[in-house]
Amino acid sequence: MNAPSTLAMHQSPAAVGQLHRRIYSIARSTPTGTVGLAIISVFALLALLAPWITQFDPVRPFPNSVLTGPGAQFLLGTDGNGMDVLSRTIYGARYAFGIAVPVLLFGLIVGVPIGLYAGYRGGWVDEITLRVMDAIRVFPSIILALAIVSATGQSLANVVLVIGMLDVPVFARLVRAEVLALRAGGFVEAAVNAGNPTWRILFVHLLPNCIRGAMAQMPIRMAWAVRVSATLAFIGVGIQVPTPEWGAMIRQGADYMISGEWWVSIVPGVALVTLIIGFSMLGDGLEELLDPRRQKGSR
Amino acid sequence: MISTLYLVLRRAVLSLPILLGVLLFTFMLVRVGNNDPVGMLAGPTAGANEINAIRAAYKLDQPVLAQFVEYVRLVFRGDFGTSWLSGKPVLDELLLRLPATLELVLLGSFVGGLVGVWAGMRSALHANRRFDHWSRFLSLLGFGMPTIFLGLALIFVFFFLLEWAPPPMGRIDLMINSPKLVTGSYLVDALIAGDKAAALSAAGRLVLPCLVVAIVFAAPLIKQTRAIALDVMASDYVRYARAAGLPKPMVRRMVWRNSSVPVLTYGATELTALFGAASVLELIFSWGGVSQFGLTAILKGDFAVVQGYVLLMSVIAIVVFAITDLLIVKLEPRAAAGAR
Repeated sequence: MNAPSTLAMHQSPAAVGQLHRRIYSIARSTPTGTVGLAIISVFALLALLAPWITQFDPVRPFPNSVLTGPGAQFLLGTDGNGMDVLSRTIYGARYAFGIAVPVLLFGLIVGVPIGLYAGYRGGWVDEITLRVMDAIRVFPSIILALAIVSATGQSLANVVLVIGMLDVPVFARLVRAEVLALRAGGFVEAAVNAGNPTWRILFVHLLPNCIRGAMAQMPIRMAWAVRVSATLAFIGVGIQVPTPEWGAMIRQGADYMISGEWWVSIVPGVALVTLIIGFSMLGDGLEELLDPRRQKGSR
Repeated sequence: MISTLYLVLRRAVLSLPILLGVLLFTFMLVRVGNNDPVGMLAGPTAGANEINAIRAAYKLDQPVLAQFVEYVRLVFRGDFGTSWLSGKPVLDELLLRLPATLELVLLGSFVGGLVGVWAGMRSALHANRRFDHWSRFLSLLGFGMPTIFLGLALIFVFFFLLEWAPPPMGRIDLMINSPKLVTGSYLVDALIAGDKAAALSAAGRLVLPCLVVAIVFAAPLIKQTRAIALDVMASDYVRYARAAGLPKPMVRRMVWRNSSVPVLTYGATELTALFGAASVLELIFSWGGVSQFGLTAILKGDFAVVQGYVLLMSVIAIVVFAITDLLIVKLEPRAAAGAR
């Protein structure tokens, strides 16, 4: 996920000292993206180190200190079960990444080949793919996700699968549009005439040339995945209380919002918002980096 | 005029297969699920005979495809089936709750749309100046706020801390009689009835949820409008107009006019998505609109309601896109000419 450094390697295979300078110059050219990356890294660290940096077990109740406000013993208070809100919020980062990363992979692994093939083949294959993708897109995604998860059984794996499925059309469309522009290019014809099998043309010749748009979208889609999964958990679908997941935690505190125990919802909520903003900032940064003059006609 | 009509009709006809596809998908989906309504209807003490009787009564013992064909046939005659939870006709239940959602989403998106387009446009015209930085920052913040958290945070600040807003429980004060039903929107109905107390209460309840809708709508709109306008400003004709020394207001009008179509298209897509997002929002504010109703139906496995709700949402999307097409033809006559 360390986008700037992969870019740097790809552009200058020279000495390590140069690599540092390269990273520095990229960071300077897109401060937004750098801040976003920093935010994401902090959360990733929290997720990795959760067991060592948290004070309490995230699902250990303290029956004598239910709904204690932020203070010396519980830094950010306890929830309605008497569980430590700070520890739970830190563990929540694991769920955020644990959902967003596989969702992204699913969307890429399924969506990119579909887009490649539809764009390359054209004709009715393309037409049908496009129609199906559009049908998925006109549908309110929350409702669709909700319907599928509640129908297919409520598990974390299903949540990931469903949100990933909703990502497929996004990547398929992006890649398809770029393939359409490239198909007429001489190098594709050359590859065909040289006797390359279709899969080779798709994955060796076309893929590297049309993955940029999809790359810039990756963090944005991760932001979206974090948001949707939290919303599902908030409704109570897929992830159940007392799992230390941010959406479920916000739900737990929702009723206390009008009676003043704000920390139960606000603490995981702020974490959620910060991570989403981090992803969006990285996305904006990548967009700037990958195409300084925003592509025209991509709408 | 004829070509405009043709364009809109063409869109509507083309969207029919999508509609049917979405419906079939929903139909299968609710049936493969492990939400078995028969068990729920029959109760825990029912024997196998009773269960089979209910299954037969609702035609659930037939193949799914046969059920689907029958359902579509009935829908075309205006029969959307019966809710298994309430026992009332689905269409009545949906239409009863639709105005509440429409009121919320339309009012909120109107405010959000005005602010979003204005701020995005101003951002583009003054790119990299102070206003631009602020509006981009706020847009990012608004985009990062999921509806669930935004709603709760606003309730906390405006109801609990400042005590400005009424409690987030429903569309009107419990102590006030709801006005006579005309449109279904309490605010409009109270105004028609001339009931000042009811109108004030309904308006007060609308403020916070509408604000959420407005923010959710405006945040991505600012970003998109800015990007679109910047594209237009970088185009050859605008650069030429500038180089030729056209007065600034004229150039600005040019940018506005040429950005309007893509901005409108983007806004329409976002607007249809808002109806889905409204479900969670209504849940938080106990709003009781059609989206919350659909959400509950999904969770409870009320098949007929879920299907009806999905159909309604698709129809709303189609109507929104048809209106957008009409507006686009008004703004850009070439679009109609190109459709023929």
